[in-house]
Amino acid sequence: MTGTSTTPTSHETRWRPGGVEVLVAVLLLLLLGQQWLTGLFSSPAWQAGATVFVAIVVQALPFLVLGVVLSGLIAAYVPPSFFARALPSRPVFAVPVAGLAGVAIPGCECASVPVAGGLIARGVTPAAALAFLLSSPAINPVVIVSTYVAFPNNHVMALARFVASLVTAVIMGWLWLRFGRGEWMRMPRRDHLVGSSSFETFRRTATHDFLHAGGFLVIGGLTSAFLNVVVPQSWLQAVADRPVVSVLALAGLAVLLSICSEADAFVAASLGQFSLTARLAFLVVGPMVDIKLVALQTGTFGRAFSSRFAPTTFVVAVAVASLVGWWLL
Amino acid sequence: MNRDVGAVILVLVGSSVLRIAGDGTYLRYVKESLHPWLMASGVLLVVLGLLALVDVWRSVRAESRARRTGADPGDDQGHDAGHGHAHAAPRAAWLLVLPVAALLVVPPPALGAFTAERQAATTVAPAFDAAVPPLPAGDPVTVTLGDFASRAVWDDGRTLVGRTVQMTGFVSNGPDGGWYLTRLALTCCAADATVTKILPVDAPSRAPVNTWLLVVGQWVPGGGTQSETAIPHLRIVSMDVVPAPSNPYE
Repeated sequence: MTGTSTTPTSHETRWRPGGVEVLVAVLLLLLLGQQWLTGLFSSPAWQAGATVFVAIVVQALPFLVLGVVLSGLIAAYVPPSFFARALPSRPVFAVPVAGLAGVAIPGCECASVPVAGGLIARGVTPAAALAFLLSSPAINPVVIVSTYVAFPNNHVMALARFVASLVTAVIMGWLWLRFGRGEWMRMPRRDHLVGSSSFETFRRTATHDFLHAGGFLVIGGLTSAFLNVVVPQSWLQAVADRPVVSVLALAGLAVLLSICSEADAFVAASLGQFSLTARLAFLVVGPMVDIKLVALQTGTFGRAFSSRFAPTTFVVAVAVASLVGWWLL
Repeated sequence: MNRDVGAVILVLVGSSVLRIAGDGTYLRYVKESLHPWLMASGVLLVVLGLLALVDVWRSVRAESRARRTGADPGDDQGHDAGHGHAHAAPRAAWLLVLPVAALLVVPPPALGAFTAERQAATTVAPAFDAAVPPLPAGDPVTVTLGDFASRAVWDDGRTLVGRTVQMTGFVSNGPDGGWYLTRLALTCCAADATVTKILPVDAPSRAPVNTWLLVVGQWVPGGGTQSETAIPHLRIVSMDVVPAPSNPYE
């Protein structure tokens, strides 16, 4: 590789061993140990788990790619000042408008955190930016279409998800307006993904978002495959039969699984033993509060913010999802 | 994670998606309708990865040129000749090595008897109350396990009387040393697989678990009707071991 042209004595950091070298070594070891690995994973449970893991990742990939391409295009070609101009000047009205504006930004929650940070940096009122942060990963067309596809026999699920997510986002925006304090939020830093040209910005945003979200998608796939194979069906069945407990159980599962909002509808569809309301709670909570998202929020806005914002969002989301589920499903 | 690793991972993820989409392995995990989307996203990931590699290569070249001319590399090419941390790839991307390893090294097999035996058989009631159409012509007539079970369970076998059917499924264990002719179906991906089971009657022999069989037989009453978990019965006329079909699911 081109690394040979650099002098090993310099304070070169980019080509220190540990990057591509480790990757190549890992893949070589895997290839050499193919026989051994095949033997190790020959038990039917391991194989079924591996199949489910790969299936979740493969199913989600095209949606993830679509999402990061669109988020890259918007980061590159739609100036943040456009959003600042488009919002009403009174914060009370800016919150629902920003919440609805989430429709226009296809992307998963990983993409919406930096966009919301950028909006605040450009002077958008934080309450409106937060409503947008919560709504955009849940109500954008890519997510709604994938929800529609994942529930072929319950198309009203896509509508219920849209309504419950938008209402939750607007309520959270208003709550922040009323009770939120500026000092809880560390002002977001400038986006480092801006390149020398629009295409560069697009390329870097799409690449970064894919690598980031892809990594967290793997965590979700692993957890889900593990649950799929290890947890006896009777356990989930025992919880699934109780209305209140099942809603809380799936809302909690959404937090733990941390699945990208572009893929979570398919996981929800596979949880067939649960009521539609419980699965709606899964779909509303997942894009707003999950382990990876709280980590992203902490990184962008600070811990004082996320430790207050995330638990409140969870409570509001579960309450709204239950009400909407009772009404629509 | 360094940017170069991120770029290589992108290329690897893209090419493993292209590989399973190209050789048909993807049918073990997802439905056929996803094929064009897999191809498109695979190509896009490879292109993004190659562009990122070109970017890394350019900044390394710029840096070594700057070093030769004695300039501070940090001043050259402003945005990307820094110390690699400015826009390092996210560390989470390392996890993408896992699916790449699974797909390129040991692609997991299609789901089979293990999954089928963990689940109750489910024959979902037809969505509409329309009359069940008669079976197409043919003796024997080829049907899916799902179609057969639906006709047997939700239409009391009316359209199956006097017909000889032919089905392809695999062997899974039943209670008391018995076995079922089995087939899994997907809604979206293997995470949501549902199972159809049919109880063989008068089978001449029993094949090992996960063996694929082409079975010819006739419906006989039994196993219950009007229930999602009913398991219809089939009197076996003949059964032959066959290779696994290219699409293992219905």
